[in-house]
Amino acid sequence: MARVKHFQCTECGMCCYGQLPLTCKDAFANASRFPLCFVWTPLRQGSKDYPLVATLGTTIKLTGRKELAVLITPTAYIPSSFPCPALGDDNLCSIHSNKPSRCKTMPFYPYREERYQAELLTPRQSWACDTSTAAPLVFQDNAIVFRNDFDNERQELLEQVPILRRYADYMLKYSASLVNNLIHASSKVKAGHVITSLSSFLTASKNADAKHIAQLQLPLLKDYMAKTAGDVKLAEFHRNYLNWSKEMAYLSQAQS
Amino acid sequence: MTLCPCGSTRAFDECCGPIIAGAPASTAEALMRSRYTAFANRTLDHVERTHAPEVRDDFNRAEAERLAEECEWKSLEIRRATETGDTAEIEFVVQFRREQHTITQAATSCFRRDNGQWLYISNTLNPQITQHVTKVGRNDPCPCNSGKKAKKCCGTTTELK
Ligand code: SF4
Ligand code: SF4
Ligand SMILES: [Zn+2]
Repeated sequence: MARVKHFQCTECGMCCYGQLPLTCKDAFANASRFPLCFVWTPLRQGSKDYPLVATLGTTIKLTGRKELAVLITPTAYIPSSFPCPALGDDNLCSIHSNKPSRCKTMPFYPYREERYQAELLTPRQSWACDTSTAAPLVFQDNAIVFRNDFDNERQELLEQVPILRRYADYMLKYSASLVNNLIHASSKVKAGHVITSLSSFLTASKNADAKHIAQLQLPLLKDYMAKTAGDVKLAEFHRNYLNWSKEMAYLSQAQS
Repeated sequence: MTLCPCGSTRAFDECCGPIIAGAPASTAEALMRSRYTAFANRTLDHVERTHAPEVRDDFNRAEAERLAEECEWKSLEIRRATETGDTAEIEFVVQFRREQHTITQAATSCFRRDNGQWLYISNTLNPQITQHVTKVGRNDPCPCNSGKKAKKCCGTTTELK
């Protein structure tokens, strides 16, 4: 593979659809914009990404000296057919100067080692990113040319490790089915995911701002519930919005 | 008279009622029963307050409220109650209906007596008896395959074997 890579965003907006992984900081800064959940992505031993995922996420011991690394990502929980709520009618980001670090770092992805980033510069089929030599040089000698956003996002990911580990410990202690679901998800060819709720994270992290966050989430969840009603393909999204709206309704009333 | 939901065949007012209202439970089993009844009656203040202090903050009340509302609580059966001084272990089976499924969940809960008050410490499911375990319980995450189009280009971490 050529070690020199070019990339230019042509502002087609296609990567602004579906779930958006966030840092904890971006998730809570955007609690009035995105319906939030936590996505757990298990990775089996042997992958070249294993060490970094184990560093940024957590590891879970399984029987027979096996273990899984698991990335736990606060996520804007949006069906893949839906645009990001911040995507304008002009296909441009309406919060450009303030957008989440995940969006700033695109097309790079600091959940992976820098030296492997070249592999990430192949756009998905429907995406209109320009990767011809006419586009600026963005990656060479195994390094990112303009690296500020990548470094910032990586730094945020590293800083949030302790709070995510506490969350992982909490969930592993209290959820009877989590480990089995992660094993199941990891056994697929394309790794699956397990979704957990914002309410569980707010409880585990003893978030003092839970009531306020719930008040921001509740109207969003109701809105997405309405938007996904009656569509069989979106039944799982719909059910989660419904369940979480009940939890957020309770929290937004709760005495603090 | 209203029969107590805990299955004791006694009146609610003479069984779990007073404990839910704040009277100390005389045994760990009585506390266990009253916590089940509080779920069935959706009076979860009692459940929260009878957690031992070290686990009280871990109680996801918002989720418990949702589950209490969603489930139709069918029965509680106490299989074994062992009190040893100020600690106790209770093996039990609960049955409830949720989303058109009847779920049987067997578990062992641990309790401790602090200053004359029995408190709940922990719960361990017994997977041999428990059915539909993937569908029930606190903090249960659902497996999900719908996150295919996250904001990242091809060949990311999660698509490698
Ligand atoms: S925040 Fe902006 S850049 Fe990021 S996904 Fe939404 S619209 Fe796209
Ligand atoms: S898919 Fe590529 S070209 Fe389109 S908005 Fe995203 S980065 Fe830009
Ligand atoms: Zn009773």
